[in-house]
Amino acid sequence: MVGMTGGPAPYIYVCTRMRVRKAKLIQRDEYQRMLNMSLTEITRVIEETAYKQEIDELATSFKGIDLIEVAISWNMAKEFQKILEITPGHLKQFTRLYLRRWDIQNILTILRGRLQGAKSGKIKEILIPAGSLDRVDLDRLLGEESAERIVEMLRGHRMYPVLAREFPAAKESGSFSRLENELYKQFYADMIAEAESGIKGGNLFLSFIRLDIDIKNVKTLFRLRADDIEEDPREMYIAGGVLAPDEFVRLNTIKEQDEFVDALKTRVHHKSLLVFLEELKGAGKVRDIEVGLTRVQLDQMERMSKRNPFSVHPILVYLEKKKYEVFNLRALARGKASKLAPERISEYLVI
Amino acid sequence: MAAEVVASTVEIAAASQVGMKALGAGLAVGLTGIGAGVAEMGIGSAAVGATAENKDLFGLVLILTVIPETIVIFGLVVALVLWFV
Repeated sequence: MVGMTGGPAPYIYVCTRMRVRKAKLIQRDEYQRMLNMSLTEITRVIEETAYKQEIDELATSFKGIDLIEVAISWNMAKEFQKILEITPGHLKQFTRLYLRRWDIQNILTILRGRLQGAKSGKIKEILIPAGSLDRVDLDRLLGEESAERIVEMLRGHRMYPVLAREFPAAKESGSFSRLENELYKQFYADMIAEAESGIKGGNLFLSFIRLDIDIKNVKTLFRLRADDIEEDPREMYIAGGVLAPDEFVRLNTIKEQDEFVDALKTRVHHKSLLVFLEELKGAGKVRDIEVGLTRVQLDQMERMSKRNPFSVHPILVYLEKKKYEVFNLRALARGKASKLAPERISEYLVI
Repeated sequence: MAAEVVASTVEIAAASQVGMKALGAGLAVGLTGIGAGVAEMGIGSAAVGATAENKDLFGLVLILTVIPETIVIFGLVVALVLWFV
């Protein structure tokens, strides 16, 4: 905790701010009310919350669903950058690293958009500049016509070696899945390396990352079972969690769902995850399982942040919860725009 | 000669007693002050953090921040008792 000037006070200050912000997030009953509202009413409700400034700013340029999507994305990016500003000492280092996932998402969006011939303005609307590449950097990348030039402009960035290695094959095949997998694998490997480098608080950061990796690997296993993908499961495996690569492959070969769940239960140690697997009977829809696993992850993260109230945990929990609030609002808005039934939309919400 | 030595010893003992009282009173106020400071550091940081996010909490967190001051008051009472009683 200590290891910076000012002792633990800055940590207490930031973690309290995160707790207050977390308490201000949209609650379950508000989502339930929004499920029965029209898109205009939802926009009005969102305008009364933390998204007011963005909705007001963008109301002249966007309408309806686009207004909600762009406003909530902008708000999230602004919020994450603000958190990075106020976070002290080593926590800033960990938070910055954790936010790098948005760089991966943005770069992949730009590259995909560029290869599909999408207009820069359209690509820009869906970018979320919450990582180390800010709006100016992303604008600069969007200014480039060729995808190769975009990759070249990232020379010096942590993503560059993987991009330079994998992009030509991705462009040729037209599929970015391997590139995406490799980028995320490197992202997690970098975070683990940083957490294990001996920095104070690194062990707590590591436990958070390991939970994330475990849940991701379990989700991948369920997805692989549902889709019958003829791809090497090792390609999708993320190292650093509780599952070893061989175990991951072995679990993937188990055909019977109950047998698979029982085998999985012997390997995972997180209480919430065990309870979830315990309750999982028969072969449910993979989407429901994924939403359930996300809830488990958030629940476990919440427990960790309560055990370590003045560490990196409360900050990361807030980042995750904010991310899912934005996902939920987007799902709600998209669902309403597509005239889906409230029950159907609620299946996609992580509440 | 012996009477003089006894009188001087009694004087020294009396003076030392007064000194010890002063030392005790000083420690009572000083140490409780440090204790209150340490306690207020945590509460104060959290209070400023909470107020930065929600200004309505100012009144409540102000009260919470000054609660450790009671420790100093106890110390002051002990010091006064030592000094005057």
